[in-house]
Amino acid sequence: MASQDHSNDRSQDRSRAGPIAMAPVAALLVVGFLVPLVLVAWLSLMPERTFGLDAGLTGANYVTAVRDGYVVPLGWSLAFAAATTAICLLVSWPMAKVLARRGSAFALTVTILVALPIFVSESVRLFGTSLFLMPRGGILAGSVNALFGIQIGSILYTKTATLVGLVYVYLPFALFPMILGLAQVPRDQVDAARDLGASGWQVLREVELPNAMPGLLIGGLLVFVLAFGANTEANVLGGQSVAVITKSIDQRFSYAQDWPLGSALTILVAAITAAVVFPVLARIDLDRLLRR
Amino acid sequence: MSAGDPTREGETLRRAFTALVVVLLYLPIVSVVLASLANTRYMIFPHRVWTIDAYREAIGQYTTADLHATSLKIALLVAILAVALAVPGALAFARFRWRGRRLYQRALLLPIFFPQPVLGLALLVALSAAGIVPDWRTAVFAHLVWVVPIATLVISIRLYGFDPAQEEAAYDLGATRLQAFREVTLPAIAPGIVSGALFAFLLSWSNLPLSMYTTGADTTLPEWLYSRMATNYSPQVPAIAVLSVGASALAVAAFLLARGLWRRAASSPATRATS
Repeated sequence: MASQDHSNDRSQDRSRAGPIAMAPVAALLVVGFLVPLVLVAWLSLMPERTFGLDAGLTGANYVTAVRDGYVVPLGWSLAFAAATTAICLLVSWPMAKVLARRGSAFALTVTILVALPIFVSESVRLFGTSLFLMPRGGILAGSVNALFGIQIGSILYTKTATLVGLVYVYLPFALFPMILGLAQVPRDQVDAARDLGASGWQVLREVELPNAMPGLLIGGLLVFVLAFGANTEANVLGGQSVAVITKSIDQRFSYAQDWPLGSALTILVAAITAAVVFPVLARIDLDRLLRR
Repeated sequence: MSAGDPTREGETLRRAFTALVVVLLYLPIVSVVLASLANTRYMIFPHRVWTIDAYREAIGQYTTADLHATSLKIALLVAILAVALAVPGALAFARFRWRGRRLYQRALLLPIFFPQPVLGLALLVALSAAGIVPDWRTAVFAHLVWVVPIATLVISIRLYGFDPAQEEAAYDLGATRLQAFREVTLPAIAPGIVSGALFAFLLSWSNLPLSMYTTGADTTLPEWLYSRMATNYSPQVPAIAVLSVGASALAVAAFLLARGLWRRAASSPATRATS
């Protein structure tokens, strides 16, 4: 009886411990994430080319955003994000099946090899990609020419190169959650389905996909959102061939000095991101996914 | 599995595909190394002369040291502060049961599921509204907004694997809350804390999109590389890129060493136990 009371005390204690423990992180998120976004939203309602925050509210920037054709870069960013997500998921699936196997030396080595480049700066990796793809004296074209005496073309500064860069940079973000997800697939269920005569396709659809779905969703979502807001890939590898929305936003803030219009575009990007992120996050059981 | 099993054939194919993708992932990094071994202003590969002159020049330059120093002080501060915030943050995420936990778990993910250049710009707007002139310290703050949630997740994964009954046992033996945390929980999640710090350090070290908008007049390595890629190319640019990667590799090596030492200390008998 006494020990019962004691443990009740403690669980009550713990329900207070949660809010206290999360307070510093919550403060950071409010000051560093929520407040800046609210400020940007407010600034987006200011008249064009003003810098103050008290010039009277207007929706003019959103009208300008649509009228001046910012829908085009927005569309390109969405298209790149969708294509990047699809390719990353397709490439990750067979890899994740290999890497989700525990106790395999091959899987462990490859997992480490795939993880390491995440910590090499995007600028270094994209720089390397452009050096590799450069026409004539580039690593690829130069090597082919030296070895076979053939002059090959280059995809550098095209939309294709941008897509290659996006897939390259964001592949690990699809792969690692997918490995977590596939680790949830019970091995005996797959074996049982096979023993009962299920085809490979049926196993995939009835057993593997449903079990791995949380990991797939998280990975796909992460790639989509990050690729949607990416601008470095398009700048470094796409050159002048394509304008993505974050590049347009950057130009509004820097060269054009039109912060309210830049803010309105920022809010559009944030709203689309939220519309994609919220429904998925609401559905996922994080405790289950992260617990080994 | 019997011989001639179709699943085994599939496995071999999948392994070959995986190996191919890994090779492709490293081509750009290899390309940077190859490009750094030239002495010509324009890259014409294969180089007529292979040399490490670019490294000699780069190492002697003030810029190289200055860039590394800026990136290093930002990344170190980010690692320390991120862990300080993420340890309690992870306890609230994975360990404590409290009302609002589900909401907190999801709110924490939002900065990760958000385009970084957009976050950087939003922070720039906020700084300007607050009248703060951006420099390397504001970049530390910007990195934290993105890194703390990641460090919290890394430590949480470790916490999920920790059995709370161990802590209960300590309470039953008369330990106070602080004692139980220090003697039982902390050692158990220490590997997660070290990984969290390493993640924070490396992610800050290599970050471009947040630094781009929040460092003001200061310049980090990734920013400098980004600006020099297009204009003013010379073999020194890839050489400094290689040096920066080498520096982060050193951090990883230090981490592995620390972990090895920790394991040895933890497995050696009779360190704590009593008192």
